[in-house]
Amino acid sequence: MPAIRHASKRKPPPAGFSDIEDDLLIFSNKMKDAENAPSTNVPRHQVHWPIFQISHQRSRYVYELYYEKEAISKQLYDYLLKNGYADAMLIAKWKKTGYEKLCCLRCVQTKETNFNSTCVCRVPKAQLKEDQAVECVSCGCRGCASSD
Amino acid sequence: MLKSTHKPIGGSQQLAEGWTEHKAPTGHLYYYNAATKQSTYTRPAAPVDAPTPIAPIGPSQSFLQYQSVGPGFPQGEDRGSRGGFQGNRGGRPGNDRPRPQPTDRPKSRHLIPGFEPWVLVHTKLGRRFVFHTEKQQSYWRIPDKLKDGILQLDQQRIKEKTEALQKTNEPVSTGEAPGAAERPEVHNPDGDDSSEYEEVEVTDDEDDENPTKRQKTFEIPDEPIEYNEDDIAFQLATMGEEYGLDPGEYDDGNMENWEEGAAGLELTEEDAVALFRDLLNDAAINPFSPWEKLVEEGKLVDDTRYTALTSMKARKETWDEWSREKMKAMRYMRAKEEKKDPRIPYLSFLQQNANPKLYWPEFRRKFKKEAVMRDTSMTDKDREKYYREHIKRLALPSSTLKTDLLALLKDQPLSKLNRSSNMDSLPPAVLGDIRFISMDPSTRDGYVEAFITTLNPAPEIVEAEDSEEIIRMKKEKERRQKALNDREAFVREEKRKQQRDLQHGKGVLRYQELELERAMQVNKKGLKGQLVGEGADVMDTG
Ligand SMILES: [Zn+2]
Ligand SMILES: [Zn+2]
Repeated sequence: MPAIRHASKRKPPPAGFSDIEDDLLIFSNKMKDAENAPSTNVPRHQVHWPIFQISHQRSRYVYELYYEKEAISKQLYDYLLKNGYADAMLIAKWKKTGYEKLCCLRCVQTKETNFNSTCVCRVPKAQLKEDQAVECVSCGCRGCASSD
Repeated sequence: MLKSTHKPIGGSQQLAEGWTEHKAPTGHLYYYNAATKQSTYTRPAAPVDAPTPIAPIGPSQSFLQYQSVGPGFPQGEDRGSRGGFQGNRGGRPGNDRPRPQPTDRPKSRHLIPGFEPWVLVHTKLGRRFVFHTEKQQSYWRIPDKLKDGILQLDQQRIKEKTEALQKTNEPVSTGEAPGAAERPEVHNPDGDDSSEYEEVEVTDDEDDENPTKRQKTFEIPDEPIEYNEDDIAFQLATMGEEYGLDPGEYDDGNMENWEEGAAGLELTEEDAVALFRDLLNDAAINPFSPWEKLVEEGKLVDDTRYTALTSMKARKETWDEWSREKMKAMRYMRAKEEKKDPRIPYLSFLQQNANPKLYWPEFRRKFKKEAVMRDTSMTDKDREKYYREHIKRLALPSSTLKTDLLALLKDQPLSKLNRSSNMDSLPPAVLGDIRFISMDPSTRDGYVEAFITTLNPAPEIVEAEDSEEIIRMKKEKERRQKALNDREAFVREEKRKQQRDLQHGKGVLRYQELELERAMQVNKKGLKGQLVGEGADVMDTG
């Protein structure tokens, strides 16, 4: 969890931060809500799904601002990564062919799954049976193959 | 959300209502019922003898089905280009479950004369469907062969109602239901009789709470005698409008009706895009915000320009383009402004590095390699002047510094500094002023932000040098807006017409039904009164 507001003591964030500050705050609040949400009545494997999803959305937000819309400076982008506003590891994956839409790092870590392969959400829709519903256990992803 | 987009296609392999199919991590298929939160490996198949369980479904429920074709539902082309989370925002079961719907239930039923196993069922929400008591099948659409019988039934009912109305004008004392003796049907006007509900239940247990999201594949019958697909479509349209959706987004089947007029206006695709962009501009949307936020907040939905674009995909594309340009323009403007005034980077450098312990020559020597110290657009003499003044001001009491800062801010015209300003868009006149750097940024920024909130919104842009271009753009914007308004008016008129037609078709009948209900209520009360009286008699004798 990154600090929501930069502490006054620390070096001020790079220029352009105030453009996105409010929206980052919204993400942080959502994250807090998700972390504090009661987990009763939620299947155990689903407890962390909202957290994965918000984390994904926020990383995607930062990623798009920098790489796709070229709306923030390198300085600010680095600052955001350093302060935990985006997942640098996940973004690194998105830059690789075939991983452009990857949902989370867990889904490509073969060791953690039951059958030593990547998560079912990585399977392209075209290779699945018609109408087969996919929802991965680790993060609730419904399919994140690049071809989808 | 465990909401399957799988739609039952029909056939014996269909899932029972309320169940969705999922794949377990082990590869097994399992089935989940979102309503009961049950899951099972055994496929809960729908009863084979009820292939089209046309259960009473609230129109709003089927609306939600169409609404789900929104941002990020994994349905074909509506799926955005983003990662895998589009389809399940919210994540947990229950989070984005549709809000509670008024559940419809059967209220009364009447045997259809001449077609005896068939029963005509009226629902609480005023709709009707037919039910075959032996085959346990029900249909919204009334089969042609039954129409004669239903017509007869309707005529009979109207007659009874008229009689009932006449009777209610007399004092209600008999407690005898009008025409009850001859009536071939069971009538239960107050609608809370659960035993009867059981009887007309459509398929199995799940079905009445989780009715099928039914595809509208029927042709629309001409007869004005039923409350049917037409009405549902109309309700969908009304609700769709409330949510700011376009016809195409909630009802594909009905498109031709809209297409003729609604599309035959001079609102081109470019216009639609431009209208949406106008909206983004006028609503002072932060182009740095994520698109999802805009969708979630739903602030724009109320504006008619939102629906100028007919799909979420088109809106997102327009948004992407707009925000990209806007952000680029903002960066360009800022860079230009900073370039214009060399004092801005110099003062901000002073703020970070000036030190009362350093005299000017020492300071200059220490930072002589810095770009701001070598910028030729500023003389060394000026640099020295600002340095000395800044150091001097640092010794002033903070109350003076605050007053100075506020005076500086107040001096700015509203066009430069207004409510939509932020710390990164302060006017150069502020940034290039010595009063701006005298306070510690952490304190100062708080004051500035507080001051900004007290300001009015930015004034309308006044035409300046290239006024011709601006006037042309304004005119263009007005034309677009007018075209949109015309279309809206047209659509409203169409809707009114539709409504009128509908009401004309069934209005008389419905009204009389209501009257009859009232009459029956009164009669029931009368009956109750009599029963109570009898009970009292028994007590007396006992
Ligand atoms: Zn995935
Ligand atoms: Zn994942």
